[in-house]
Amino acid sequence: MGKSFLTYVIQRIAQCLLVVIIGITITFLIPRFSPTDPVEAVVNRAMMMGQFSHPDAVEMMKDALTKLYGLDGTLGQQYVRFWRGLLSGDLGPSLSSFPKPVMSLIRGSLPWTGALLLTTAIIAWVTGNMLGALAGYYADKRWSHVLSIIAMSLHPIPYYIMAFVLLVLLAYVIPVFPLGGAVAIGLKPGFNWIYISSILRHAFLPALSLVLVGIGGWFVGMRALVTNIVSEDYVTYAEYAGVPNRTIMYQYVMKNALLPQITGLAMQLGLIFNGALITEYVFNYPGLGYLAYSAIFAGDYSLIMGVAVFSIIGVSLAVLLVDLAYPLFDPRVKHQ
Amino acid sequence: MNWKPKLGLLITLVLIVSVLSPIALASEPVTDLDVAPGVPRHETLILENPEGRIADPGRFNRWAPGGGDSTGLQQLALDTLWYIDPDAGIDGPWNNSLAEAPPVYNEDYTQMTAKLREGIYWSDGVEFTADDVLFTVETLMANPTMEFGAQLQLNVEKVYKTDDYTVVFDLKQPNSRFHAIFTVRWSACFIMPKHIWETVEDPIAFDFNDPLVSVGPYVIKDYDPNGYWFLWERREDWERTSLGMQFGMPQPKYALYTAPGPSDKRVIAQSNHELDVIHDASPEGMITLLKRNPTSIGWFEGFPWAHPDPTLPSVFLNNEKYPLNMKDVRWALTLAMDIVNISMASTNGAATLSAIHLPPTGGYLEWYFDPIEDWLREYSIEVDGELFHPYDPTASLRVAEVARKQLGDQVPTDVTEIKKSLGYGWWKHDPDVAEKLLLRNGFTRDRRGKWLLPNGDPWKISILCDAQARPLMARIATMIAEQWTKFGIDAQAEASELSIIDTRVRYGDYEVSIGWCIETWGGHPDLFWFLESWHSDYYRPSGEPAVNKNPMRFRNEELDGIIEAIKARDFDDPECIGLGIEYLKICVENMPIIPIMAYNVFSVCDEYYWEGFPTAKNPYTNPVANWANTKYMFPMIRPKQQK
Repeated sequence: MGKSFLTYVIQRIAQCLLVVIIGITITFLIPRFSPTDPVEAVVNRAMMMGQFSHPDAVEMMKDALTKLYGLDGTLGQQYVRFWRGLLSGDLGPSLSSFPKPVMSLIRGSLPWTGALLLTTAIIAWVTGNMLGALAGYYADKRWSHVLSIIAMSLHPIPYYIMAFVLLVLLAYVIPVFPLGGAVAIGLKPGFNWIYISSILRHAFLPALSLVLVGIGGWFVGMRALVTNIVSEDYVTYAEYAGVPNRTIMYQYVMKNALLPQITGLAMQLGLIFNGALITEYVFNYPGLGYLAYSAIFAGDYSLIMGVAVFSIIGVSLAVLLVDLAYPLFDPRVKHQ
Repeated sequence: MNWKPKLGLLITLVLIVSVLSPIALASEPVTDLDVAPGVPRHETLILENPEGRIADPGRFNRWAPGGGDSTGLQQLALDTLWYIDPDAGIDGPWNNSLAEAPPVYNEDYTQMTAKLREGIYWSDGVEFTADDVLFTVETLMANPTMEFGAQLQLNVEKVYKTDDYTVVFDLKQPNSRFHAIFTVRWSACFIMPKHIWETVEDPIAFDFNDPLVSVGPYVIKDYDPNGYWFLWERREDWERTSLGMQFGMPQPKYALYTAPGPSDKRVIAQSNHELDVIHDASPEGMITLLKRNPTSIGWFEGFPWAHPDPTLPSVFLNNEKYPLNMKDVRWALTLAMDIVNISMASTNGAATLSAIHLPPTGGYLEWYFDPIEDWLREYSIEVDGELFHPYDPTASLRVAEVARKQLGDQVPTDVTEIKKSLGYGWWKHDPDVAEKLLLRNGFTRDRRGKWLLPNGDPWKISILCDAQARPLMARIATMIAEQWTKFGIDAQAEASELSIIDTRVRYGDYEVSIGWCIETWGGHPDLFWFLESWHSDYYRPSGEPAVNKNPMRFRNEELDGIIEAIKARDFDDPECIGLGIEYLKICVENMPIIPIMAYNVFSVCDEYYWEGFPTAKNPYTNPVANWANTKYMFPMIRPKQQK
């Protein structure tokens, strides 16, 4: 049993590494085959200033930029250079915010994205699943119907619509929250209530938009799962046997229904590294999503790869952890 | 039995409320009297920075890639020798900024001398002198990746000073427009403080942040480490800057440049009086603001409100691609367009139309549009043995008429007013004549009425447009595609991302695109600035990058002669206007691109905390917040007392 579990762990880790390597290689190649060229982007930006640039001057600038950005050499040479840098923890300089290191840009945005998405994902997951389970178990109750209608109404609303509705409602019609940003202008970072409360106030609307839509999704999924499970024989048997409802609900029904939801949560947590572009854009929230979005449009290979590497590693690790943790939740996996 | 789940539900709700309520009731007030701690709202001008979030906000090196341009940096902290205002200017469009006088050239334009102002100081108390200009030029020449570096390298043989306030540029070849490098039209080559930069080992990597020494009237006070806002404070010694010295004290003590997000949010922010200057709203946003916020004003008092930038959005036709290489085809496409519909669909009619190849803004109406009007009315195309006059002088009146149905009295009725704000005229919408032009070149129609090329292939056109950064272009492209489809061409709008479009257009990988390649000073009639690259010396075939402003790859010997004649003349030579009119006639004859309208920017200013913003009635500068020229707004506006 111990040996087979070790084999299982090693297999999963090897699989995870392979996924990471393939994912990163694809990420390395895609921007290089895209029509956006970071050198051209800088040249175009210079042209947009309206100045007339002699063609020889433009060529001179392009050659120098290509060398400066480390885009000279063959694709293979660039690939080797990239892995060498990555393995030493260096993702190189951002091309659109040259010479700022990519790691520094990611480090600046990651805490905001991480805090917002981690918190909202967990709140939405816990609340959505709790309410979904209750609504599924007590499907005949009137409050269950009301909750279902609310959740099903919330679930299909796109994030950006929800974000705009909340924004108009709570920052314009009833202006109790700020229009955007992560913290009030001019506040110095510090571990004090003014700064922390400012962060919370600014995060409230973006968080609420994510939580409301997220709750709807988890609720609908959990309710469907629970509705199926309550009709299983062992639940009926437990009811006939006089097992308390609370025990049936938490020990028999919810525990079984949670497995796919745990996988979903893990995947969602892994995707945190992608950021929440629309939410960030609407609320001017300084996360990774907008950083990646700008990098794609600027042809910033290094930054695209930086964000993607984190995302690939995040999702792969999340999947790995779920794979490894599954036997804890589901004895059937352990036995297999 | 049933109380337990209800209790669970209640607990969950209580938990949610208990987590969220402290956030909602947090101590920070929402409608702050202060923009930031110690920064009163009534002393602060808040402007939009359209660049959005700046990924590396601590980088103020305006001469190298990275960092932001219009975070207030180029408007308030940097300066250069001369400025040309796109509108009338405070005391004329030309302004000697760091220079004391206009540039002086020798007879054959191989030497330019710049006389500098005395008494200008950097914000750290060091005097600005010729050494700063020399250092800037030499540093940029040594680093061709820095903006203007390669340009200076190609032009400058030697730069030296004859005294602390006189700089002489010996040029490698005659260049009567060399001063344009140091003349702001939106931006230009700004001057570096030598005493800061001379110790820097790598000028490309240098952030110019420690310290950011300003030669403009403001210094940086604080900025968002996340890149959404930049707060500037007026210098105590503002009178030792070129702006203060000439035009008095900049009125706002503070200036905040923010990136408020999408158009709807800008509208909300201004309605809440949290954004004094919107760089560009959507036409619908502009209308909403004017209805909802009584203190919001546009450039024009009434319709079309927007500020016409001295830039001309046009339909680029790749003159190398068959069948667009045929003049008749280009004209047929022009006559298949209905400008009234295009104007309504793209801007609700709030467009300043142009039939000719110059933007109808600034002094151009007087210099070019008025003198050529009679020629345009007389201009004719021979079709089937008859003369057809394609110019429609009533186009803008028809736009006004349609717009009036939607917007009522807000649309002017006075013809002079309409011409000034909506343009003079445009080309007739005449599909019958367009058809004749195609038929005589061997085009045919299939059974469904769709056009076939002379070789029998279906005629397909894809109109490349930017839907993300410039939705106006996508709206124009969509309407043109619809009209050409109606005419029988298989046309469609192809939305893409700006940098992809720019690259494709530069390399000639397109047939039709919407963009601009005609940009003028606005406040000066000289056309050489954009026209130089139309000379066939700079012609590059598709596959090679086009030189700046000739993405349509147009060549014309007569035009070459005009460009050479302009180049041989002084910047201020009035004969250049006559040559410019000849350029316009060549363009009308050949229609290398189809002009549409000025790039109307829906800049909206809120006269709640400040008044005296530039408008069409008082056009001392443009209100478009990302232009470096908007520094002239600061001494002109006045604080408004709150009731």
